[in-house]
Amino acid sequence: MLPPAAAKTFDELTLGHGVSLEDLIDRDALGEMVKSFYDLFGVPLRIFSEEGKLLGDAADQIPLYTFLNTVKAGRNVLAEVASKVKNLALGEDGMASYPCATGEHYRVAAIQYDGKRIGRMILGPFVTPAQVETPAALLALDPALDAARLHELFRAMPRAEDDSVVKLSRHLGRTLDLLLFSGHRALLTSNMHLASVRESFRELSDKNDKLQTAFDRLKELDRLKSNFLATVSHELRTPLTSIIGYSEMLVEGLAGEMTGEQREFVQTIRDKGEQLLQLIKGLLDLSKLESGTMSLRKSQTEILGLLRDVSQTMAPTARKKEVELQVDVENGLPLIWADAERLRQVFLNLTENAIKFTPAQGKVTLSARLTAIDAARPEDAGGVVILSARRTAIEFRVADTGIGIPESERGRVFDAFYQVDSSSTREVGGTGLGLSIVRRLIDGHDGTVRIIDNTPKGAVFIVTIPVRRATIG
Amino acid sequence: MQLDFVNRELTIKLVYYGPALSGKTTNLQALHKAAAPGASGRLMTLETKDDRTLFFDLLPLTFRNQGSLAVRLKVFTVPGQVIHASTRRLVVQGADGIAFIADSRAAETQHNTESFMDLRENLKQHGLTLRQMPLIIQFNKRDMPDVRSDAEIADLASKGREPVYLAVATRGVGVVESMIGLLHLTWSALDAEHDLNKKFGFDPKAFLAQVAQKLGNPKPIPEILQACVGGALDVLRPEAG
Repeated sequence: MLPPAAAKTFDELTLGHGVSLEDLIDRDALGEMVKSFYDLFGVPLRIFSEEGKLLGDAADQIPLYTFLNTVKAGRNVLAEVASKVKNLALGEDGMASYPCATGEHYRVAAIQYDGKRIGRMILGPFVTPAQVETPAALLALDPALDAARLHELFRAMPRAEDDSVVKLSRHLGRTLDLLLFSGHRALLTSNMHLASVRESFRELSDKNDKLQTAFDRLKELDRLKSNFLATVSHELRTPLTSIIGYSEMLVEGLAGEMTGEQREFVQTIRDKGEQLLQLIKGLLDLSKLESGTMSLRKSQTEILGLLRDVSQTMAPTARKKEVELQVDVENGLPLIWADAERLRQVFLNLTENAIKFTPAQGKVTLSARLTAIDAARPEDAGGVVILSARRTAIEFRVADTGIGIPESERGRVFDAFYQVDSSSTREVGGTGLGLSIVRRLIDGHDGTVRIIDNTPKGAVFIVTIPVRRATIG
Repeated sequence: MQLDFVNRELTIKLVYYGPALSGKTTNLQALHKAAAPGASGRLMTLETKDDRTLFFDLLPLTFRNQGSLAVRLKVFTVPGQVIHASTRRLVVQGADGIAFIADSRAAETQHNTESFMDLRENLKQHGLTLRQMPLIIQFNKRDMPDVRSDAEIADLASKGREPVYLAVATRGVGVVESMIGLLHLTWSALDAEHDLNKKFGFDPKAFLAQVAQKLGNPKPIPEILQACVGGALDVLRPEAG
């Protein structure tokens, strides 16, 4: 059972208005102490709380009192003594003495803790050694009581000098004070422990709530962003299609012949429109990928053909920049389970990027070879023995001899709209959408993409895609 | 503050705050040692490990026979280590005055700052501001090497509101002065709020003199109060409201 103090506040327990004797000391232990005290000094002892509750009692039945209890007058006298002693007003020093009419004495002393009275101890009844004669008041109490028996019982009363009893009470007070101090200390410690744990828990819960709210809000914002992207790209595309269509018709002379300069201008409008359309398509792809609404149409795809196609598409761009473009595919590669169109988009993008960042006389290489990857994902690294089934995969590399990508940027280049060089004066243009789409498409193929350094300079994008679809179980 | 009308007894809570190992417990030990018999109860130290306070220390000081009101001071320390943030918040709750014990060593400047911010934050959690709180600052460990110079501290103190004390708590230097300064500020703030002097016919100067006396410093109070550098001990009452 918890002591009454368990429910008390820190202030009540430390500022000294709420601590009671019962809070600080174990009742059974107190009883034992009182008993041992009585055994040692032979003076009966009782301990009461400030509210008058008996907490410890060590007194054999006093034979004289048992005898007096047999008559009414005796019972009355004893009851009066008991009540007076219990409620005796104490002096400044916290002490008081009560001499009974029937000859015995009581000594009452306050139990103080931290300058406050929290209980009292009652020592007695006892009779001083000098008091040999049986008091007349005792003999006159009731004629029915046998005088010889009264003499005998009075002589057998516990005997002590009053100043010895005062010393005893002081000693007991000091002993109790030490016990109370230890009790208070233990009580505060356990109380503080609980309160600290509770406070830490409250603090953590508060922080968790705040984080959860922030997280929910971010998720909602992210969803709004994706929606916004999808809507805007769609809305932009519609009028743009008309712009491109009409400029095409103008170029083809459907609205009459144009002069060379006019044709050149309209051609520029068409080209730029086409560029804008690609950009918007990219945005739309990204938002579809983010919202998970893009579906991949996977089939058995042949790698050499795919990379050759990419290389052919990019050849004019490479030639213009005087960059050598090379395809290097290992013989006998298996077909892979992929969306050929999306995979083509991935490598077109990576190749275009590579050419863009490679200076004239540089070289861009597209290669593919067979490799194996761990079926277990890093996040469930446990049970490697069980999970280490290897999956066959194709490792694609797009290597360039360009400016390279600093180590610190490698994790971020795949974020949407991120540019390593985001200054307005950067040499190479782009929206920063390409790589984020690349990464999501590769994710969609259960693959990975990472970047390493090319020696002596440049960057290598390594894309690894499993040959077969993942099987469960 | 707790006022017991029946027994005409006032209990004031003072808290010694500061970074880990700045000498908060040492301040209390020095006060305990200096206190006359009867004025101080046992110094209670809760759960220490390697001499580091885990929960708090508590020194009860009692001053009776002053006018018609007995004053009990409960002087607490907080655990300075960063991890005991929640305990500090619990202990500082309901404080009537705070002594911030800073470590004078130049290398500890950052820890002092962090602890002071922590104090401010904890008061804020209880809906209090530093401005409302009677506060003194003690630069302890003046006897250590590489401490910030007296001139530097005096210069900074002259710009601040809080009285600043220089101390060597291990030798009891500046400890009583800091306590008297804190008590002076605290009493003034409590009196401003509760009109204690008038209600109880209380003489604060005589009270401070009694406390100083019982803590073993018989110098006149104005002299003890002058031990501080900078700050504003005479601006006794915090802003109304």
